[in-house]
Amino acid sequence: MPRIVREAEIEWEGTTARGSGVVRAASTGSFELPTTIASRVDLIQGKTSPEELLAAAHATCFVTSLGSELARGGTPPERMHVHCTITMDEVEGAGHRIVASHVSARAVVPGADAETFGAAAQAADEGCPFSALIRASASVTYEATLEGGS
Amino acid sequence: MAESTASVTWKGSLLEGGGTIDHVGSGVFGDLPITWKARTGEEGGKTTPEELIAAAHASCYSMALSHALAQDGNAPDSLETSATVTFVPGAGITKIALSVKGSVPGIDQAAFVAAAEDAKANCPVSKALAAVHEITVEALLS
Repeated sequence: MPRIVREAEIEWEGTTARGSGVVRAASTGSFELPTTIASRVDLIQGKTSPEELLAAAHATCFVTSLGSELARGGTPPERMHVHCTITMDEVEGAGHRIVASHVSARAVVPGADAETFGAAAQAADEGCPFSALIRASASVTYEATLEGGS
Repeated sequence: MAESTASVTWKGSLLEGGGTIDHVGSGVFGDLPITWKARTGEEGGKTTPEELIAAAHASCYSMALSHALAQDGNAPDSLETSATVTFVPGAGITKIALSVKGSVPGIDQAAFVAAAEDAKANCPVSKALAAVHEITVEALLS
């Protein structure tokens, strides 16, 4: 199997409290995004945060795992939608910690019944590298819903 | 407490299909295309979970380091951080290498390296990804 390396970079000007940064996808040039500490704590439209980027990473990781499991079971998906919520909280004695990631998946899968879909979702959760990593330090939960045909 | 959200839609099979990260809570990006081929390095211009993790870690790390420096009375003029994530299909994410160049008035290289190591140990994304076998940091004062 190939070893895959991905890079991103950020340039930050000034202090955390008053400064701001721009985070850029260095490997693919796919995005260049403004970020601030204020947008990390309170939701500010138009500025991202590390936790939002992790939510995007987890949703992306889970969707590829689920598609892979469904195809392996002989029922490739027609369409999947995955939503992820990452929660950061202040933990007594430990400062700010990422405490939870919740994944919610909906999919249109011709030929799959609720049981095979449920089994594929469980295998996707167990097989997604991001779920495996973050489970060591945070609560990882998922729900999966099979939708009717298109 | 802060909640962050993102949504992805995927159409078709893993190898032939593709998807988009179509919405994030802040609205700062959307419709970022994703494919399996991009993830395994056969296609450029599309992002991957590992690239997003690299972006998350570089962002978190920069905030933690600038905060620690400012608390010690040496607020940085600028920090330029890169994160390189290594993903081995089947084995998962095996390594994250952070690299930071700082313009920080009032401190020397040794103090900067100490602050850089401390930020690596304590930033919330490092803590969340503590199961990664190897996380390294290289710090250089410019």
